[in-house]
Amino acid sequence: MKRLLPKSLLGQVTLAIAVTLFLVQGINAYLAWTIEKDRVETGLVNTLSLRLVAMGRIADMDDGELVVDLTPQLENAERRRFRPHSERRGPPGARRPRRAFAGTDFARADTFLTLDGDRRLPALEERLGETLRNNGRDFADIRIVEREVSNDPVAQRFLERLARRRGMTPADLPEKIAVAGISSGEGWEIVRAPIYRPHEHFGPLFPLLRAAMLTGLLVIVLWLVLRRITGPLAQLTERTQRFSENPAAVGQVEPRGPEDVRVLIEAHNEMEARIGAMLDEKDVMLGAIGHDLKTPLAALRVRIENLEGDAEAKAKMAEIIAETSRTLDDILMLARVGRHDVEFEVVDLSALAATLVEEFEDLGKPVTLGTTERRKRGIQVTWLKRALRNLIENAIRYGGSARLSVTSENRAAILAVEDDGPGIAPELIDTIAEPFARGEASRNRATGGAGLGLAIARAVAEQHGGRLVLENREEGGLRAEIRLPL
Amino acid sequence: MTDTAPTTLLLVDDERSLREPLAEYLTGQGFAVREAESAAAARTVLGSDTPDLVLLDIMMPGEDGLSLCRHLVETKKLPVILLTAKGEAMDRIIGLEIGADDYVTKPFEPRELVARIRSVLRRSEREPVLPAEDQLYHFEGWTLDPLKRRLTDPDGTLVPISTAEFRMLRAFCDHPRRVLDRDQLLDMVQGREAQLFDRAVDNQVSRLRRKIEADSRNPHFIQTVRGGGYRFGAEVTRAGQQ
Repeated sequence: MKRLLPKSLLGQVTLAIAVTLFLVQGINAYLAWTIEKDRVETGLVNTLSLRLVAMGRIADMDDGELVVDLTPQLENAERRRFRPHSERRGPPGARRPRRAFAGTDFARADTFLTLDGDRRLPALEERLGETLRNNGRDFADIRIVEREVSNDPVAQRFLERLARRRGMTPADLPEKIAVAGISSGEGWEIVRAPIYRPHEHFGPLFPLLRAAMLTGLLVIVLWLVLRRITGPLAQLTERTQRFSENPAAVGQVEPRGPEDVRVLIEAHNEMEARIGAMLDEKDVMLGAIGHDLKTPLAALRVRIENLEGDAEAKAKMAEIIAETSRTLDDILMLARVGRHDVEFEVVDLSALAATLVEEFEDLGKPVTLGTTERRKRGIQVTWLKRALRNLIENAIRYGGSARLSVTSENRAAILAVEDDGPGIAPELIDTIAEPFARGEASRNRATGGAGLGLAIARAVAEQHGGRLVLENREEGGLRAEIRLPL
Repeated sequence: MTDTAPTTLLLVDDERSLREPLAEYLTGQGFAVREAESAAAARTVLGSDTPDLVLLDIMMPGEDGLSLCRHLVETKKLPVILLTAKGEAMDRIIGLEIGADDYVTKPFEPRELVARIRSVLRRSEREPVLPAEDQLYHFEGWTLDPLKRRLTDPDGTLVPISTAEFRMLRAFCDHPRRVLDRDQLLDMVQGREAQLFDRAVDNQVSRLRRKIEADSRNPHFIQTVRGGGYRFGAEVTRAGQQ
């Protein structure tokens, strides 16, 4: 269910408003419907009570004859209230009383006969009873049923006549009639009245359609209005994603839409410009650091050669300069790895590993090549080489030797460096790759470097969308993996 | 190199603190050194004098080292070694593409600089006319770019190779289908840092095979010739770049 709900601002707002409108419309329609139903019922109760009251009065006067005579007048009297004055001339029913109504909607019977398909209406019985009592008509029992016109030939005839007189088509006629009876203990007085349907404007279908149409219209208008907001927002989102991948100045979103959104976009663009300027500044600064610090180092290095004296002291000075320069390189490297305007190229990783191992072999270092699968992937060669070199140098420094292998698992290439050293203390394994972290406090610069080797390896792995995994091997020694998704 | 006149170097660097001690050191190593503190000053010196080699700083105010380098290589055909503060591969490619013979990154070992100067001079003496560096070698879908020292397989994937492997493969590509014995290979492959022996030739060959052969036990490209040496068994064509 949750999956079906819209996730966007546009969808959610539209849905919320559409649902609310639909509910309000529904409640309105329901209220109107109950009022209309009540009106129809009142009409029915009034008709029935009028007939029953009239019947009582007639019965009080004398026997059958008048019953027949009065009926049409009653019918007409009722109609007259709803008709304009001009039509109220000579009740037509009076001219043919007997033929028209004898024995039709007035009847006396010993029992209240119910047919199959009749439905009792207890609520109406109560209302009718009350009306009758208010009009001085007492009774012992009361009954109202609803009946299909088609089941009642008497009612059919009655309605056909009604239709003729009012110029109604059979389709306009009610399909049901109410049969009401009261009994005072001996026999029933029974009358009929048509049950008119509530006006179709209040029926279940019409209000539903109206609500649906209104909701549809609202959705369209909302969609158009909201899109002015969400369109620029979507653009801004896309731009932000692209910017976080590659902070380039080109492709800024043009401020548009409602003012709030426009201001947001303007603010975002300003922020982008600042970030861009800061990154540029960083690059310039790195370049300057590189140049301005390395040139004096180079000068010092040359001056050492020009000095007279102790060769050992000179070698020491040279080593300090070399170490300072390496640290400087590491810092510059780490700062540069975050950049995204780097060109990746597809490289044979096994050949890369072999080349690295050969490099160390040529220097007489104990580095061997393990299993290599031929895996190809887009990488930044210089950086990945540097990361692996750092891992290999660590392995040699702390583990005595290094084994480099290239394998793959779960759609990731794994470049692993293993050693047979003591590994890393478990409590340090998570933090050892932080910049300037070193395995042991006692480790001095001569063996420990600046503590940037693993930080660089990790940064490079992450820059390639992969990660650096360090784990102590069961057989002893450390296994450092650079995992690159393929 | 001749023993009669000292080799002359032109050292171009705006940093006096480096230029002066370096000039002093190089003089001590037996070179005749002239100094220039900018590209403009270097052009003035070159107007009256032709050194055997130019040492050139890249980052200088005014005209930078790369621009002067282009001028030196194109019009004067002088060997150039770049002095650079950056060690990035990008700089190396740019430097070598515009024709510099070598580069060192600051802070460099002064002795290493001297070794490189001698190596560049030896090379430029031995091969006064350099082979066309911008011509790519093609064999069976593989491409070897001698300028960028890049080898790519038929898919276009970069196959990293070491400098020694590059030189050996290039030697093979220059002499396809000819038997090269170990001495010939040594002679062609010998670079400034590679002091190769017979065994080392075999070692390089097996490394190279590991990278380019589908099955290195049954080599297709680099074939062993019984009692003789090796033979490159593929047709090689050369074509210009771009």
